[in-house]
Amino acid sequence: MTLIDWLYKDAPLATRREITPKLGFLLTVLLALVWLVPFLWMGVATLRPASDGINLMAELMPSLKPTLDNIRDAWEIGDFPRYFLNTTIICTGILSVQFVTITLAGFAFARLDFAGKSLLFYLFLMQLMLVPVLLIVPNLRIVAQFGLYDTLAGVMMPFFASAFGTFLMRQAFEAIPTELEDAALIDGASLFQRIRHIYVPLSMPSFSAFAIISVTSHWNDFLWPLMVINSPDKRPLTVGLSVFTATAEGTQAWGTIAAGTLMVIAPLLITFLIFQKRFISSFVTSGIK
Amino acid sequence: MSLAEPAALPVAASAPPHLHILKRFATRFKTSLPAYLLLLPSLVFLALFTYGAMGRVLVDALYQRATPKAPLRFVGLDNISAVLADPAFTGAVINNLVYAVGTAIPSIGLALLFALALARTNAVTSALRATLFLPVLIPMVAASALFLFIFLPNVGLLDYYIGQLLPVLPNWLGDSDVALYAIMVITIWKNAGYYMLFFLAGLQSVPEDVMEAAHLDGAGPWARFRHITLPELKPTFLFVTVIAILNAVTQVDHVFVMTKGGPSNATNLVLFYIYQQAVEHYDIGKASAATLLTLAALMGLTALSFRTMANREGGA
Amino acid sequence: MLFTRRLMLGLAMAGSMVGALAVPAMAEGPTEIDLFFPVPVDGKLARDMGTLIKEFNDTHPAIKATAVYTGSYDDTLIKTRAAIKAGKPPSAVIMSANFLLDMQIENELTNLDSLIAADGTTKEKFLGQFFPALQGNAVIDRSVYGVPFHNSTPLLYINADKAKEAGLDPDKPPQTWAELTDWAKKLTKREGDKVTQWGIAIPCAYDYCGWMMETLTMTNGGRYYNEEFGGEVYYDTPSMLGALTWWNDLVYKHKVHAPGATPGPAVSTSFISGNAAMMMLSTGSLTYVRDNAKFNYKVAFIPRNVRNAVPIGGASLIVPAGLEADKQKAAWTLIKWMTSPEKSAWWSRATGYFAPNMAAYKTPEMVEFLSKNPDAKTAVEQLDVAKPWFATYKTVPVRKNLEDEVMLVLNGKKQPKEALVAAQKAADETLKPYNAETSLKLP
Repeated sequence: MTLIDWLYKDAPLATRREITPKLGFLLTVLLALVWLVPFLWMGVATLRPASDGINLMAELMPSLKPTLDNIRDAWEIGDFPRYFLNTTIICTGILSVQFVTITLAGFAFARLDFAGKSLLFYLFLMQLMLVPVLLIVPNLRIVAQFGLYDTLAGVMMPFFASAFGTFLMRQAFEAIPTELEDAALIDGASLFQRIRHIYVPLSMPSFSAFAIISVTSHWNDFLWPLMVINSPDKRPLTVGLSVFTATAEGTQAWGTIAAGTLMVIAPLLITFLIFQKRFISSFVTSGIK
Repeated sequence: MSLAEPAALPVAASAPPHLHILKRFATRFKTSLPAYLLLLPSLVFLALFTYGAMGRVLVDALYQRATPKAPLRFVGLDNISAVLADPAFTGAVINNLVYAVGTAIPSIGLALLFALALARTNAVTSALRATLFLPVLIPMVAASALFLFIFLPNVGLLDYYIGQLLPVLPNWLGDSDVALYAIMVITIWKNAGYYMLFFLAGLQSVPEDVMEAAHLDGAGPWARFRHITLPELKPTFLFVTVIAILNAVTQVDHVFVMTKGGPSNATNLVLFYIYQQAVEHYDIGKASAATLLTLAALMGLTALSFRTMANREGGA
Repeated sequence: MLFTRRLMLGLAMAGSMVGALAVPAMAEGPTEIDLFFPVPVDGKLARDMGTLIKEFNDTHPAIKATAVYTGSYDDTLIKTRAAIKAGKPPSAVIMSANFLLDMQIENELTNLDSLIAADGTTKEKFLGQFFPALQGNAVIDRSVYGVPFHNSTPLLYINADKAKEAGLDPDKPPQTWAELTDWAKKLTKREGDKVTQWGIAIPCAYDYCGWMMETLTMTNGGRYYNEEFGGEVYYDTPSMLGALTWWNDLVYKHKVHAPGATPGPAVSTSFISGNAAMMMLSTGSLTYVRDNAKFNYKVAFIPRNVRNAVPIGGASLIVPAGLEADKQKAAWTLIKWMTSPEKSAWWSRATGYFAPNMAAYKTPEMVEFLSKNPDAKTAVEQLDVAKPWFATYKTVPVRKNLEDEVMLVLNGKKQPKEALVAAQKAADETLKPYNAETSLKLP
């Protein structure tokens, strides 16, 4: 009870004795434990030796004779360093082009007045609903026409423009006082110099928020790279993992699958645990991906 | 630069009497030019992969081959009617509706519960928030790989633990009545933590002094929630609902990994149907027609989301 | 004025980066070939394939082969087709044997006759190396399109310990459906409503389900499709009705088979865990069972109702159409090497698939292996009654037409007869364009 009291110590005095919120809190704690179970199983199953047999596979108590065999198997079957590299290339490739496109477009919408501004604004807005994943069929044909089928560039291209990023940047730029820019204008700075030296440095929090959203969502993309990529040496992590779970004639090695899954999700999870606060605030600003 | 110029051409070609209009346009265009150039990189990609793709779908949906080796020919709306007559497609639409409602309501409900319980910030709530947020970060494919074992009959995690309590358990992914709900569990597990964040943000706008005053007036926690918190969270609800529905249409990776739409198309969702038509059957006409229908359905949602966005913009 | 030089430079760099990623790697030195292969991931098999390919590369310096794991049989077909359409076909593929006809209809295969002739041998001699039952899926219109690599038949796996426990003699396995039903009843254990041990498990997921239906239909005297022509399947027939009714009875009448559609991995897991006392599964799972079963097991022929017969499963090596001559030649070298008696025998021992090359069973290693593992012999003996696996135009959709209906029956949603009528109707619809171009194209 003292822990609960401590948790509610900053609640309004009058509400501190109420029971309902505490029940809700307890329920949430229970559910959070349930939420962890798949991760827990993954960890335990990864380290479980095959000698424990299939009937202990579901046991959440760790094996007393942990083994790295499953990790070794997964490592040998899947080309994880390669998948990891491909995913990294895809994410950084998308992000660096997006960085340019959203900065320029965000600035135009934030600071410039031009004919057809609201029309163009709505044209951008359309992308929020017509998310590229829905347009996989026509986009695949377009990518193929460019000769980019089965290339990482083909995976990246549909995401180079980002309406969400543009709006995020527009908001960030609008918040910057115009006086700063006026001063630079007097010094004869060009438009691009002003963007580069005033707007971009002052909008770093928004950029990093966008970067987190962009990288997380493309790290997890599956259906689109599955369609574009055919060569195994160009598979990203998600596609590589899906091949793991596939089977030809009726057997699956659950420990190996757990180990493979662990390897795929570990990088992002570790990054999250380190930069927790930033991740969470980025996702809150994300609004629409 | 060259891409921006054609816009000026019709004006330049117009007759001399309208010189002043032309001049005005020219000035307007000239002052707008920097903005156009800044927008150009984005517009090129949007033109290709959003509007261009839309156009492509419209065109592709109108063509079909009569026999495998015959050339493509114009068939008008035949593809659309073929898709609408395909029980696999109508089944996928119904599945998708069930899936959307069945994932949106529980995950939003849970998200709200989590947010209310964890609204205060301290070490314990932060840890709990992070725990509930973990599934958001992992790829759907990875979640599916884990749940493949969780749902395994007899020796899987669910049967191993729950099987000791309940006598008869369904064949989770193999029973056509249950499989869709099993798939929904994954989605709820994965998304509730994401929606929680929006509710957490929304709750910050609930004034604590009003709460306290309400309590002094004798309002219990439930009444306060009903009359103060809920109205305040209305925009958040709308917004999260739109995202949840969008997710229900676009997240189908687990269907691919776990069931391939089976058993008997019980877990086939619209986007997976489109994928099957395009990749497994090489039927671009039908795939495009199905895409078109899905896009049309989402247009309604777009309108809704514009309004939600406008609300948010106004609030910010 | 607007774009400073630095921005231009940045854009140019971004452009060149994209460009660099798009340019395919230039081939140099040895002929590089890709081999697509579908194999279940149970740790060992993918490693075994790696070993095999490494040995090939070491002994063939002019060729550099890369083995590429492409998932299930269905996924391998999809990936191969996508690669062919993109103009980058793999040089060789281990393709599910029954997809060859469909691929040949779509002009996606290289006719191997000329490669065989170039080796100075004849088709008859070349095919003569393999078990006769395998030729049906490899030869189309009297031309060779595939070379059998690892083949399987369905087997009945029996948990011998449980059989003894139930007073049954595992050395005299059930030979007829009646005996099997009887065994399954005796091997099913219940605690109230709860079944703690199922008598039998038969897999049903896309791909497996069609194969099992064909197995049951064949042992009931039937055919699944027209072996001579890719435009017909026989779903709505007495033999298939009997087969599906029996399966349905095992689930709902005798209650010795779990309801619902259970995929292969769940079935093998169930058998290994002791939850199912018998299962019907591919010979391809034999090594997995041997390595993981903590009990004595037996394998036996699939019991018959009318006759003993099983469909061939597994895969053949094919060469996709549209390859450059040097890659084609290199692929052919690889294929001949992989299907040679020694390699064929080695792969068979590693996986459980039987070796299609008859001479493989005369190699000393194989003779020794068989004397130690008599269960591996059963699959080979069953070959005498094996027949080709179903192959039609649009094999996968036609197969799914049946599988979706069978799954409905196993889920208690439909009765066998109405399900088969619906499956027949759907399949006829799928096959219609092909028939319009062939059997119904009249002068």
